[in-house]
Amino acid sequence: MKAQMTTAAGNGTVASVRVWDVPVRVFHWLLVISFGAAYLLGDSERWRQIHVMFGYTVLGLIAFRILWGFVGTRYARFTSFLHGPRAALRYVGSLASRKPEHHVGHNPAGSWAVYAMLALGVATGLSGYLTLNEFGGDAVEELHEILANTWLVVVFVHVAGVIASSVAHRENLARAMLTGYKRGDGESIRASVSSPRRPIVGVLLASAVLIFWLGSLLIGGPTIIERSSQATMAQTAEDDDD
Amino acid sequence: MNMSTRMIGSLATAAVATAVLATAAIAGTDVQSALLAQWRVDAGQEFSAARGRALFERRANDWSCSSCHTADPRATGRHVVTEKSIRPLAPASNPRRFTDRTKVEKWFRRNCNDVLNRDCTALEKGDVLTYLVSLK
Repeated sequence: MKAQMTTAAGNGTVASVRVWDVPVRVFHWLLVISFGAAYLLGDSERWRQIHVMFGYTVLGLIAFRILWGFVGTRYARFTSFLHGPRAALRYVGSLASRKPEHHVGHNPAGSWAVYAMLALGVATGLSGYLTLNEFGGDAVEELHEILANTWLVVVFVHVAGVIASSVAHRENLARAMLTGYKRGDGESIRASVSSPRRPIVGVLLASAVLIFWLGSLLIGGPTIIERSSQATMAQTAEDDDD
Repeated sequence: MNMSTRMIGSLATAAVATAVLATAAIAGTDVQSALLAQWRVDAGQEFSAARGRALFERRANDWSCSSCHTADPRATGRHVVTEKSIRPLAPASNPRRFTDRTKVEKWFRRNCNDVLNRDCTALEKGDVLTYLVSLK
C-alpha cells in the first residue's frame, strides 16, 4: 500500500512501512482483552465461567500465534525476532543514548517480552485448567496465581518498554500495533510493498474468538439467579474451595 | 502375602490415616483459635454461632454462603455457577478445613465479595467460623 508512504522508497529514506499484519494485531488486542478480563475476574466465583472462558481464549490465541510465528508474514515470524539476551541489553542501553537502535520489527528487548508472555500465557492457562479440574491441589492453584501475577509484571515492563522506545524514537508504537505501520528503512520499505496484510486470516481469528465467546455466554453466562433445586449434576469432581 | 500380613498392612494404613487426620484436626484447632483470637481483638465483642448461622444463610443480593455450601455446612456443597461439588465446610465432617490461615483469609476475601460485594468484617468472619466449628 503506497498510500501510507511519506516519501519514495529508497536506501536511507525514512518512510512508513507495513510491519504488523492483521492477524498479529487481532491477536495482540484480543490477548490484551482476554488476559485483562481473566485477571480481573480471577477472584470471583460469580464470574468463574467467564474467567475460564477467557483462559481458554488465551490458550487458543497463543496456539494460533505460535503457528503464525512459523507461517505468518515477515515480521510475524519468530525467525525475524530471534535476539539474544546481549542484544536485548544493548538495545535497552542504546535507548538512553543520542542515537538509539531502531528496529523495523520487534526490537531485541521487545522480543524477550513477547517470548516471556507467550510462555507465561501457556503456563498460566494450563495451570488454570489443572486447578479447574483439581489436579495438583493447592500447590497448582498457588502456581496459577504466581504465574498470572508474573505475567502481569511482564505486561507492565512491556508497556514501560513501549513507552520508552516510543519516546526514544519519537514513534508511537502502540498506534503501530493498531495501524500496522511503523517507520522503515530502504530494505524494509521494498519488502513492505509486497508484504501481505492477510486480512482474511485476521477476520477468521476474530470470528473464531467471538463465536466462542457468544457460545460460552449463552451456555454459562454471568447472570446468576439462585438455582435451588436443579438436581442433575454431571461432575463428580470435588473442590475444597470454590 | 498371608492373612495376618495383610491385616497388619491394613492396620498400618488405618493408623497412618488416623494420625494424618488427627494432626490436621489439631493443627486446625490451633489455626482456628489463633484466627478467632485475632478477629476477637479487631471486632471488640464476643462471637455468636447463632449470628454466624444467620449470616451464613442470609441472602445478601441473590447469593448467600449456603447457595454453594448448602444450609448444612457438614454436607457436600455445590457451586451454583459451575455445579461442581464442594467438599464440606464444617471441620466436623472435613478436618482439613480451617487448617491454613492464608487459605482461610483468601477464601473469606473472595467469597465475601461474591456474596456481599465487600469484605467481611472481623465480627462477621468470627461469627461464621464460630458457627462452623460449633457444628458436630
